[in-house]
Amino acid sequence: MLEDAQRETIPPVARRRPDALLLRALALAFMVFIVLYIAIPIMITLTMSFNDASMIRFPILHWSLKWYRDFLGSPQWVDALGNSLIIAIGTMTISTVAGVLAAWVFERYKFPGRSALYLAIMMPLFMPGVVLGLGVAIAFGGLNIGGFAVYGSRGLVMLAHSLWAMPLVFMLMEATFRIIDHRIVEASYDLGGRPLRTFFEIVLPSVSTGIISSALFAFVISLNEFVMALFLTDRDTQTLPVLMWLSLRSAGTPRLAVAAVILASAVFASLVLILLWYIRQLRKTSR
Amino acid sequence: MMQQPAEADALFDAARRRVKRRERLTPWLMMAPALAIIIVFFGLPTLYMARMSFNLHPDQRLYVPGFTLEHYLSLLTDPLFTGALWTTIKLAFVSSIFTVLIGYAFALLVWLQPAKWRFAFIALALCPLLISEISIIFGWWMFFPKNGLLSYALLSTGVIEDKISLMYTEFAAFVGLIYVTLPFCFFILLSIFDGIDKRMLEASADLGAAPFRTAWEVLLPLTRTGILVAFAQSFIWSMGTYATPSALGPDTLWTVGYMIQEQMLGKHNWPKAAAFSMVLAVGVAIVMMFIRSLMWKRTSFHA
Repeated sequence: MLEDAQRETIPPVARRRPDALLLRALALAFMVFIVLYIAIPIMITLTMSFNDASMIRFPILHWSLKWYRDFLGSPQWVDALGNSLIIAIGTMTISTVAGVLAAWVFERYKFPGRSALYLAIMMPLFMPGVVLGLGVAIAFGGLNIGGFAVYGSRGLVMLAHSLWAMPLVFMLMEATFRIIDHRIVEASYDLGGRPLRTFFEIVLPSVSTGIISSALFAFVISLNEFVMALFLTDRDTQTLPVLMWLSLRSAGTPRLAVAAVILASAVFASLVLILLWYIRQLRKTSR
Repeated sequence: MMQQPAEADALFDAARRRVKRRERLTPWLMMAPALAIIIVFFGLPTLYMARMSFNLHPDQRLYVPGFTLEHYLSLLTDPLFTGALWTTIKLAFVSSIFTVLIGYAFALLVWLQPAKWRFAFIALALCPLLISEISIIFGWWMFFPKNGLLSYALLSTGVIEDKISLMYTEFAAFVGLIYVTLPFCFFILLSIFDGIDKRMLEASADLGAAPFRTAWEVLLPLTRTGILVAFAQSFIWSMGTYATPSALGPDTLWTVGYMIQEQMLGKHNWPKAAAFSMVLAVGVAIVMMFIRSLMWKRTSFHA
């Protein structure tokens, strides 16, 4: 009886306390787990790239930049990095132009077959790289146009990578266009601006942050992709991730860690660019 | 004298029609580059691949034109390929379940965190998305083997007596696969959580519900669609991701994706690679339709 009475006087919050404490401990443990999980492969690669030994084993006894010198001194790896950058810049250009234009059409115009077209444009983004790569390889394998071998060329890889990058740009830009002020566009039309001129002089500058971000995401996608590139490149045009995949199959050395760090640095540099542009735009509008 | 206004009218009509036609053409012209990419590099290759999958492969040549269902049937009859199909589905299913469990807890905690932590966790979740799959593979490749970090860390802390290797196990394959699919799942679920009014939790607590009961009776029903979409999305990604399981998992862990690469680059059997590719593409398309029907139900429910 007494116990019952006591229990009723305890406020509900206090009664839940042990429960809440347990939950808090669980949450903390989970956060530690997730941070470790995501950080482990990244930190391990970064650390290994400064290893002096020629084998991958722990503990690391001596540190040096030996493998960075080795990477930069190897024509094969430097060429692969060059191919990766060229292909990524090409993919970025193609998919940004195509994706931005298509997104504007979907925002601005009514036309028949809208939802079917939307699905068609988005479809490749969900397709596995191996399916897309194989399709392009089979369709264009051995194709020569005026003595120029299309298959194995960097251009073909750019267009194949655009199958992922273009829908991504399209998706991001569609969301961006939705929040622009349509009164400005109407004003431009009323002042006699043709649709195309309005698009280039009024619409594009007002969504520059969205365009820069989606373009750099396209760049990153292409830079990291290696399954399509594996099907579509030859020895002269192979990209850095492809070369990494092929050499991982034979033997892993710290050189691979260096390659991974260099690849990630290029991605990181793109992110910094997005951030800088964003800050610049913020300053402009606040002035 | 009477004809002049009529003529002007006709001229004006013609001009208006031209403008109208141009207006109707403009969207198609602007969409042309995107459509060209889709048609030439996705539509045509898919048709070509569909045709290729029925071709013959009698000898060392890449293919011989013909018509056979043998490549599709081999997926059902040849134990090697049937095994690959099962492995793919099992791997995708199990890894998606864990991806959703981890992603759900992660998104929930980030949603409940004060705003100052939010940015750091979102940046963390972006990492696996921005790093090449090959670098992720290589990172785990240095973690699991006998001379890897895991073995060294456990040995030097005295947890184990002898070096251990988790490399080339299904566990390693799952760790790698979940790593790749986790960010997609996390961002889908975080966007769902962000649409929920946090006061709902307080209301539930004020009414005396214990945290677990609140989670079960309030949060779960509100996020059910999100969970299904996140699951389907991870399923698609893990079905197509073959490099990670094949590099980290045991030698027998053959997935359909790996088989496609093997048939195309190793065995030079184009029809078989095309047939497997078609099966994978159709599987992905089916899951995608499932996602779309879920999204559609959701929007029509809110309208």
